[in-house]
Parts: sequence; C-alpha cells; structure tokens
Amino acid sequence: MGDSQYSFSLTTFSPSGKLVQIEHALTAVGSGQTSLGIKAANGVVIATEKKLPSILVDEASVRKIQLLTPNIGVVYSGMGPDFRVLVRKSRKQAEQYHRLYKEPIPVTQLVRETAAVMQEFTQSGGVRPFGVSLLVAGFDDKGPQLYQVDPSGSYFSWKASAMGKNVSNAKTFLEKRYTEDMELDDAVHTAILTLKEGFEGQISGKNIEIGIIGTDKKFRVLSPAEIDDYLGEVE
Amino acid sequence: MSRGSGGYDRHITIFSPEGRLFQVEYAFKAVKAAGITSIGVRGKDSVCVVTQKKVPDKLLDQTSVTHLFPITKYLGLLATGMTADARTLVQQARNEAAEFRFKYGYEMPIDVLAKWIADKSQVYTQHAYMRPLGVVAMVLGIDDEFGPRLYKCDPAGHFFGHKATSAGLKEQEAINFLEKKMKNDPSFTYEETVQTAISALQSVLQEDFKANEIEVGVVRQESPVFRVLSTEEIDEHLTAISERD
Repeated sequence: MGDSQYSFSLTTFSPSGKLVQIEHALTAVGSGQTSLGIKAANGVVIATEKKLPSILVDEASVRKIQLLTPNIGVVYSGMGPDFRVLVRKSRKQAEQYHRLYKEPIPVTQLVRETAAVMQEFTQSGGVRPFGVSLLVAGFDDKGPQLYQVDPSGSYFSWKASAMGKNVSNAKTFLEKRYTEDMELDDAVHTAILTLKEGFEGQISGKNIEIGIIGTDKKFRVLSPAEIDDYLGEVE
Repeated sequence: MSRGSGGYDRHITIFSPEGRLFQVEYAFKAVKAAGITSIGVRGKDSVCVVTQKKVPDKLLDQTSVTHLFPITKYLGLLATGMTADARTLVQQARNEAAEFRFKYGYEMPIDVLAKWIADKSQVYTQHAYMRPLGVVAMVLGIDDEFGPRLYKCDPAGHFFGHKATSAGLKEQEAINFLEKKMKNDPSFTYEETVQTAISALQSVLQEDFKANEIEVGVVRQESPVFRVLSTEEIDEHLTAISERD
C-alpha cells in the first residue's frame, strides 16, 4: 500500500527502543470519548459516551457501536474515521471466513485478524497507525467474550475494561464493582454507573450508546428509550 | 525529551506527540482561508444550502464561478474551501454515484454518498503520499426512507447528519446563530427553510445581499431533484426577508 515514494515505514524505532508513532496514537485514543465493556456470566455489554459537537447534529445519524457479524459488536475510543475503516475491513474478513468455512467466524479469530490489520499499519510504508482502540464484544461457542485491541495491534481478553478520557477512574470503578457471577442486566447497570462517574452534564439515552449480546447470540444496540428505562432503574 | 517525530509531523499525516494530526488541522485552516462562508438548513420537507458568490475580477465569467455542484439529478454538493480540490472531489463523487446506479440498479442514497466522501478523506489522513483535501462538503438530498437529509463531510473524514450547519470563515458564528433558531426543533416549510439559511448568512456576515452575490441550492420532497435557484427566485426570497424584518 502507499506510493513507492513512501516505501519506507513512518513508524521507526527511537534510540530508546520505543515506537513513538504508536505511543502518539495511544495519546490520541486517550483523548477520545470514554467507552467501556463488561463481560457478564451470560452476556457482554459495551457502552460509550456520544457527545456531539452541536445540538444541530442529527443524533440518529451517528452510530458509534457497530455490528461486525450478527453475534459480534464493536465500540471504539479515538478517531471516528479510522474506526470506520477497521469496521469495513473486519466485516469483510468475517464474510470471507464464512464463505470458506460455511460457519460464523469465532470471536478470537476475528479479533486476531483485525489486530493484524492494525499491526500492518504500524510497519508498512507510507502509512500511520490507526488512532483507535477497539472493544470487541461477542458470544460464540466459547461463551461471552470481550477483547480490547490497541493501535499497536496487541489484544487482550478482558473481564471488564475502559478506554478514552476517563480511563483510570472508570477502571478503578469497574475493579470495585465487578463480580464473576454478574448477570447481563447487572452489567448494564454497572456500565451506566461507570459512564455516569466521569460524565460532564446530564446523562440520557441520547448522549450514550449501549450494545448488548446475551445467550441468544444476537448483538443489538439499545434504543434511546431502552437506555432511559435503565437510567430510571439506576436512579 | 527529544521530539520523536523528527519534525515531520507537520509535513505529512503522522501523529504528533500530543496525538494530533497537524496536516488535518492545517487542512481545516485552508478551508477558512478561502474566505467564504456557507450555510445549510434542513426543513420538514426540503433542504437548502446557501453560499457567498465572490467574483474577484469583473472580467471573470460569473456563471463559471460556482461552489454548488449536482452529483446526480437528485443529490447536490456544496463545496467550501479550495476550489481545485472541490472540483476533483466532485468529479470522483459523480463517477462513484454513476457506477453505483449502474451496479445496483437504484440511485445512490445520500448517506452512502456522504460516507464515501468521508471514507476517501480518511484515506488521505492515513497515507503519507496524499495530503487531505482542503474542502468541507455539504451534501443534500431527499432520502426514500428518511426524507430530507443534510450531511457535512470534513477533511478529517468525519461526517454527520445535520439539522442545520455551516462551514467556512464564519462557521462558528453561523452555528451559534442556527443553534438559537433550531433550539426548539422547529419544522420549517420550504420558504422558512430558505429564508432561515439566507438570513443566517446575512446576519453572520453583517451585510444585505443582492441576488447575484449568493448561490442557493435546494431539494424539495415534492420534486426531489437538486436545483440551483435563479437570480429571480433568490430575489423573491430576499424581498420576503426584508419585508418580514
């Protein structure tokens, strides 16, 4: 990829052995809106702030949580345009797997392939790393799973994780509240409370997005009305 | 601590130590440097975009100076910023929309066009060999399912649907003006939509326009083709605005 004029990598080692472009990419992620995910005993929930630049923006036209396959969803913190590229590439990879094996792609495989794409952009000529970290939530034969993928292409499975502006407070909050035998509904409440912790302004169904997947293995994004119901329960 | 990027972060789109892309930020400045302000407003059953028509030289053929481009019969694009970049974007968008119609057998929906433009802009922010375009594109059209739609795509690759928006030199002032007008989610008729857009531009630039100093483009649900208003039609709206005040 890239012009032959740029057939050298822009991400190179510093004298101390660090890849500074990746570190800068992580800084870009750290200044993005907070998002988080929680793995429950019977499902996974992912959530994010949806702060729009103006009230003139049509809130329904913005979807930060996307479907990769019917049973895998993803959310990000960082640069929206980079996220769209990764979503497109991941969806294509999932389709290609299905065409070859006539089976839905397992969550770990999709995460691995997406991470490989992100790694490519840290080593190929003439391109910069992606300025996003992803939280991938899925439910397949191995049960509910939550993975975080970073701009470097490294990924880990998490019981609960957060990214973006409020990451340290959110993670501390999650560490206190997480239990192994949490049910999906409890996880949604905990997710909302965690977002509420660092939220500037009045939280409502219109300025956060929540996606869940349960034992039915169908990932779906909650409507603003459903979020408002959960908010009411949390009050 | 030394500046790890070697100073190139200002020349090509790689990350700065603060996690910023300077080239993208400079592209936004280039949009402002063109000195034009544009406004778009979405009504109940129509969308209207307005922009200044600055003809720098009296010897120029006025009809060839335009920022409003039809992409298909039904979709329009208002380009604010560098004219040359705008023309290349329009050319590619027209090609893409025509191929879509050929491949899939139905007209390219407006959100698909907006997404395509935004995704193309994103590629320029990630690959070093091409700079981002110095253009903010406002696309307007009537969607079969969702009705009148206005999208704004910027050099960073962001795109949103808007109830009203602005781009160019006085972008922020115009958005403040429009936020006040649209605060209670009004449902504008066609005339109100056009007049809100024109009066917003007049208020923000603090001048009263003549019909040949602005360009106005509309799409209406009753006849969903993208149309550029003639000077006579613009005059009617200008008169209606001044009588109203």
